[in-house]
Amino acid sequence: MAGNKLNIEGVMLFEQPFTRVPYENYRKVFRTSQKQIEKELSAVQLSASDLLKKSQTAGSERKADDSVKAIDAMIARIETLKRKLSDLHDSTGHPTLTVLRERTQHLAAVEALQNEADPEFSRWADTRLDRWLVDWSLRTGREGTARQITQDRGIEKLVDIELFTEIRRIEEALKRRSCTEALAWCSENKAALRKIKNPLEFELRFQEFIELARALKQDDAIAYQKKYLLGWQDTHLPQITQASALLAVPPARAFGPYKWLYDPLRWTTLVESFRLSIYNLSTLPTEPLLHLGMYAGLASLKLPACYNHETKNADCPVCDPSLGHLATDVPFSHHVNSTIVCRLTGRIIDENNSPLAFPASGQIYSREALEDMAAKNDGIVTCPRSNERIPFEDLRKVYIS
Amino acid sequence: MDAPLKELTKLEKLVSNSSAAKGKSPSISDSLESLLLSLKDAKQRIQAGADAGEVCAGLSRTVDNTKKDVDDRQKEIYNSLARFGKALDKRFTTPLPSYSPLFSSPESKAALERTIAQHFLRTGQFRTAEVFIEESGIDISPDMREHFAELHRIMSSLKENDIGPALEWTERNRQFLSSRSSPLEFHLHRSQYIRLLLSSDYNAALIYARANFKSFYGTHSSEILRLMNCLAYLPPSRLQGSPYADLTSPSLHTDLEPMFAKEYCASLGMSRQVPLRVIGDIGGGGALARIEKGRKVMRERKSEWSQSDELPIEIPLGPENRYHSIFACPVSKEQSTEQNPPMMMVCGHVVTRDSLQKLSKAGGNVKCPYCPQESLASNALRVYF
Ligand SMILES: [Zn+2]
Ligand SMILES: [Zn+2]
Repeated sequence: MAGNKLNIEGVMLFEQPFTRVPYENYRKVFRTSQKQIEKELSAVQLSASDLLKKSQTAGSERKADDSVKAIDAMIARIETLKRKLSDLHDSTGHPTLTVLRERTQHLAAVEALQNEADPEFSRWADTRLDRWLVDWSLRTGREGTARQITQDRGIEKLVDIELFTEIRRIEEALKRRSCTEALAWCSENKAALRKIKNPLEFELRFQEFIELARALKQDDAIAYQKKYLLGWQDTHLPQITQASALLAVPPARAFGPYKWLYDPLRWTTLVESFRLSIYNLSTLPTEPLLHLGMYAGLASLKLPACYNHETKNADCPVCDPSLGHLATDVPFSHHVNSTIVCRLTGRIIDENNSPLAFPASGQIYSREALEDMAAKNDGIVTCPRSNERIPFEDLRKVYIS
Repeated sequence: MDAPLKELTKLEKLVSNSSAAKGKSPSISDSLESLLLSLKDAKQRIQAGADAGEVCAGLSRTVDNTKKDVDDRQKEIYNSLARFGKALDKRFTTPLPSYSPLFSSPESKAALERTIAQHFLRTGQFRTAEVFIEESGIDISPDMREHFAELHRIMSSLKENDIGPALEWTERNRQFLSSRSSPLEFHLHRSQYIRLLLSSDYNAALIYARANFKSFYGTHSSEILRLMNCLAYLPPSRLQGSPYADLTSPSLHTDLEPMFAKEYCASLGMSRQVPLRVIGDIGGGGALARIEKGRKVMRERKSEWSQSDELPIEIPLGPENRYHSIFACPVSKEQSTEQNPPMMMVCGHVVTRDSLQKLSKAGGNVKCPYCPQESLASNALRVYF
């Protein structure tokens, strides 16, 4: 096995989402904790200052009793907060951090390797292919396969089954024409979506508005528009204007652009926009990782020789019928220099192992293979492709410059 | 990943529940715990008759301070999280490319499903293969399943140092193996013999050698001689320091698995490596990165390579991934094709037919550009690699 130096940057190109997904998950945990703290502690702060005011103004006997009651309520709140925070840490925070650590270390481990021939790398690449197959299975709706691979290979922390389960749940809701789930996701990721100027929330709101118009609920539609659409004036004024006009065009009389607004196909577009948005936040590519890896791998190997039955090689992945079919979707490889591979040994012919040709048929093989054949056959060599039979000395030397 | 790992360690410390967790501000659970104590203390003091106004004033300050401590800690965590995110961003500066849907035609989808099903079978993931075949609703011939099940039965035995099932197979396929001059069967026997020797059962080893090496004298005589001569250097501890130390190497046994898999797959006309792994390793080992870089350069030069059916750049491949000969004409730099095949001149130098014609002078003579020899172009021989 030849030792090619490991191309770390090439390996890492695929790994951004690997840490990004748990990172975003942990940010979500942090936001939840922040909300809980804000809610409970602000309430306690308020009670405390309230209590202080009352204790300083009123002067009756009941003051002490009231204070004790108020303090008990504060204690209960703090205890609730403590419990909630610790539950959050145990159920989500800590497991997410463990995933982050495992994945970061998994990448650090491959960075430390130098050579593709390292058995460590072979194991790492096995796992990578497993991860790609899980990603592919989840994206193509084969959750059972994804779970089976994960379980058999023990790679629970290295794959994102939950993310794709959530994607499917929200997409199925959209297919049932419900925006609620997708809108909840938008609000969970508001800041991140705003940062990349993602308009998914507007598209969902617009669709809910269209549905009110379709149901001829004019008043509700107007109220909805005020509440949810007007806030987007700066970026989506044309659509908002269109929305107002839509109220005058009931579905039965819709024409031109209004017809498209009422088109049920818009729901399919919404599913795609949602998927694009969630992939985008997780830095996941739109294509499965397996497809990207295969595209580049097949293109690196694909040669016209793979499609000619006389030059096929059973060891070549592209010469495999199924993979060869997949390779029709990718470009051919590009080569500047000659490489002659001996059809008898499968090894590359170089200066130390110069090529020899059968003089009549023009078939070329490596010297080592032909010498071996001659030694076993009293100096006679036979071409397995043309059946030309001659003494070894009659072979012609070939120079590939 | 050093920088992200360092930031991650800091983050883990900040959010850990233990009170030993260091930070500029106290941990949140410590803050809340001490607030609880203050609340309970205040309650007791009021119950004991202390002045409520005074107690509550102190309490209000404590609550405000706790809020501030908790906020500080949250800010610390937030900043630490952000630093970790930045470290990740710095490590991953190039996003994955977006491609229009690949392998999306029904034929390609079916081909990919077949490829993946075969991959699971070939790598011994039989349960996954079952689930996958069921979920995809595809047909895999019972023959193929049977073959792979056999392969994995034999491989598991080899892993457990049991060469029996492997030998049974090599005996059945002796003709195929000898046509490939495969040393597999001999290596299986050698492994067993060495194992007996190293377990110090010399007698059993000798009996085994006599019974099994006989048929290999023709092909492996010098090897067998070494296997016999090494007896003079036993016990194993001495053997390790002898000229026969290589016979104690564990690879003598562990190499059997890949060797067996290779021969087994070849007997079925399948590749020696797991094809999906080969493709994934090339694609994920730098090829995609190179293709993207080449694409970017082409875009900057405004060249339309996407129109052409060939990559704009060469992806370096290891010798183990060279499956076909490629002839690039040294004169024109073009790859040979069926229409423009490689031609060997009388001197032995090879150029493509187009180049040969361009080099020809009136009268049909051609002067080789690599050696001074002149010959008739019509005497050039079409060669096949
Ligand atoms: Zn091929
Ligand atoms: Zn010449």
